[in-house]
Amino acid sequence: MNHVIVSAAPHVRSPRTTKRIMLDVLIALLPATAAGIVFFGVPALVFVLAATFSAVLTEFVWFLIQNKAWANPKEVLKKFCGQFDFTSAITGLLLALILPANLEAWYMPVLGAVFAVGAVKLLFGGTGKNIVNPAVGGRIFLFISFAAMTVYPDPSIGKLFAPLGSLQTGATSLTSGLQGKGTLSALDLLLGTGVAGCIGETCKIALIAGGIYLCARGVIKWYLPTLYIATTGLFAVVLEGSFDAFLPSVLGGGLMLGAIFMATDYVTSPKSALGNVVYFVLLGLLTAGLRKATGIEVVSFCIFLMNFVVFLIDAAIPCRPFGYRRAKKTRGQKKEANA
Amino acid sequence: MKAVKGKFFSRGVRLRGEKSLSSACEIKPLPPVSEVAIPLSRHIGKPAVPVAEVGQTVKRGELIARADGYVSVNVHASVAGTVTAVESRADGRGDSAPCIVIRRAETDETAYMPPLSDPTAEQIVERVREAGIVGMGGAGFPTHVKLRPATKVDTLLINGAECEPYLTCDHRLMLERRDEIVRGARYLQKALGAERTVIGIEANKPDAIALFEETDLSVVALKKQYPMGSEKHLIYCCTGRKVPLGKLPADAGVDVQNVGTALAVCEAIEQGKPLVERVVTVSGRGVAAPANLLCPVGAPLSALAEACGGATEEAVKLVAGGPMTGAALTGETSVVTKTSSGFLFLTARETNADPPTPCINCGKCAGVCPMKLMPMQTEFYTSVGDYEKANVYGGVLSCIECGACSYICPARRPLAQAIRKAKAELRRKK
Repeated sequence: MNHVIVSAAPHVRSPRTTKRIMLDVLIALLPATAAGIVFFGVPALVFVLAATFSAVLTEFVWFLIQNKAWANPKEVLKKFCGQFDFTSAITGLLLALILPANLEAWYMPVLGAVFAVGAVKLLFGGTGKNIVNPAVGGRIFLFISFAAMTVYPDPSIGKLFAPLGSLQTGATSLTSGLQGKGTLSALDLLLGTGVAGCIGETCKIALIAGGIYLCARGVIKWYLPTLYIATTGLFAVVLEGSFDAFLPSVLGGGLMLGAIFMATDYVTSPKSALGNVVYFVLLGLLTAGLRKATGIEVVSFCIFLMNFVVFLIDAAIPCRPFGYRRAKKTRGQKKEANA
Repeated sequence: MKAVKGKFFSRGVRLRGEKSLSSACEIKPLPPVSEVAIPLSRHIGKPAVPVAEVGQTVKRGELIARADGYVSVNVHASVAGTVTAVESRADGRGDSAPCIVIRRAETDETAYMPPLSDPTAEQIVERVREAGIVGMGGAGFPTHVKLRPATKVDTLLINGAECEPYLTCDHRLMLERRDEIVRGARYLQKALGAERTVIGIEANKPDAIALFEETDLSVVALKKQYPMGSEKHLIYCCTGRKVPLGKLPADAGVDVQNVGTALAVCEAIEQGKPLVERVVTVSGRGVAAPANLLCPVGAPLSALAEACGGATEEAVKLVAGGPMTGAALTGETSVVTKTSSGFLFLTARETNADPPTPCINCGKCAGVCPMKLMPMQTEFYTSVGDYEKANVYGGVLSCIECGACSYICPARRPLAQAIRKAKAELRRKK
């Protein structure tokens, strides 16, 4: 024992680190990614790779400039590898999963990933400091910039080897399903067969598998996404006045992906357990309401909007420790007693 | 042995116990040391005032420093020998403390107090005060003060949880000195005038639970959960009562005493022996042979390390007490005190000490906080210097400083430190 470390207690730490948590999220996204590639073929694969690569590259370049890498590149490179926590890779992958695999708009994943990581995350201070979920921010940026975001290719298994360029123009299956005009059964929606939509959101089974993995690893709480999805479904039933609206609204569109992977993002959700419950219920109400009002898929917009409410939710919930007893005195007297 | 589930509180954290390193090691006495340095102030309250002079020959158990005031304790010679110095010595925590240094003589003469048979409540409290007994769990609050609660206490709770990883001294005591602990508990109960005595033991010690179930104490099995040994949570699990915020356990009608304290009380009454020795766990993967040692107060840590085969090359951290709340030492200059429950030699793999990364707001710190606080809010508001808000949103002043938040934090944020800082600033302002 040559020298000892002296630091404040506790002296043991949990083996779980941020890096490990983020790696778990990446692993949980893999089934949905695989399903997307199976359904949408080569374009999906290109999108996933392009978005992930440009997201990580954006962070890398940012880091090089921030640390003046031209002074001693070797050390900065080492530092980057040490602090890299996979968050930008998640952002890139998640962004690709919420884009339509439309190869004509090949620039979309690249532009979106650069914007998501650079403008939405790094400009605000990097990991843990962003106000809006980067992937959601990236998608909204693309949505309001490019018409290509409304062209959803029709998936079919085996398209992997089919000639490129056959595109279906139109809305996602959600709109028609909610209006009762859909031809897809709930089973189709669950498996993702024949569902037009974004790369990652079609196969619900794959998303649920990822969600179960995250719950089992203790990364997310099972009841939060469930709360979101259930609230959306029930509120849709109330709004439509028919129980037939439940399954399409729960299984359709990007709700499952948004609820499991985007709304649960630690950074952009409330801190307290109670705050999270409030947040997810409000998300559900907002999603069902906006879907009814606009007739288009709004999950990412809802998450975007609710991200700004998080601060209000946190500020409204003071700490109530173990053994806390509500003061019996009136408010005025209590203040006096404190002073 | 049948697995016991046990009572639990909400939140808290499950730690790797690492108790198997030393739980099977029987308590053995430390080989005689040549010199002890007995600190005068390693308990809560004022330091004792030395009465022994340099050059004086003392017997084991002789009073060498007298309590200064009510919240203070007597200090006794832990070996027979000659007082060689009364001086300030480094305590291994980067500070120094006044000590009485005794060079051990070959003869082991003792000068204990006369034993008491069938003592009254007053006699018990008086004897506890004379014997210089403090809480042996770690905080070291003078026991005679605790035996005079302001409100009526109906339950005596014996704390056998030992929720800190690595430490096994209480476990071994419960296995080897059961009858004395039970008798000590009865004396404490009598002193308090309590109606019943309950002992809470964590379910990871099924052998101790089985042993105490044979006695007439009521045993409560507790879930292996950190911080089960915290008074508030132990009381909640054993009696179902919640200690109101800012109040003492006595306000819930409960008095909590450690098993080691019960043993010391029994010895003080039946043998007249003051608190001059205690069991210390020396453990961790950085020490050759972990052990539970019966050490005289003031024995140097280097002697303990030597008795355990010495520290290995991999040891990077030396901790006095448990790994969650103990203090890191700067070297082997420390000594055994009345509150030393253990000395740990930890390797780099055990400590998992990585540099901190940005908070990702995951909420795990709030998820494990036994007091239901919001450590991440505290850390945020402390970093910007707004301590009032740190208390409103983080609940700083209710923190029991168990360290569960810092343990679980995946970003390795210094949460417990931030809370201590905010606490100190808030107290300073008042």
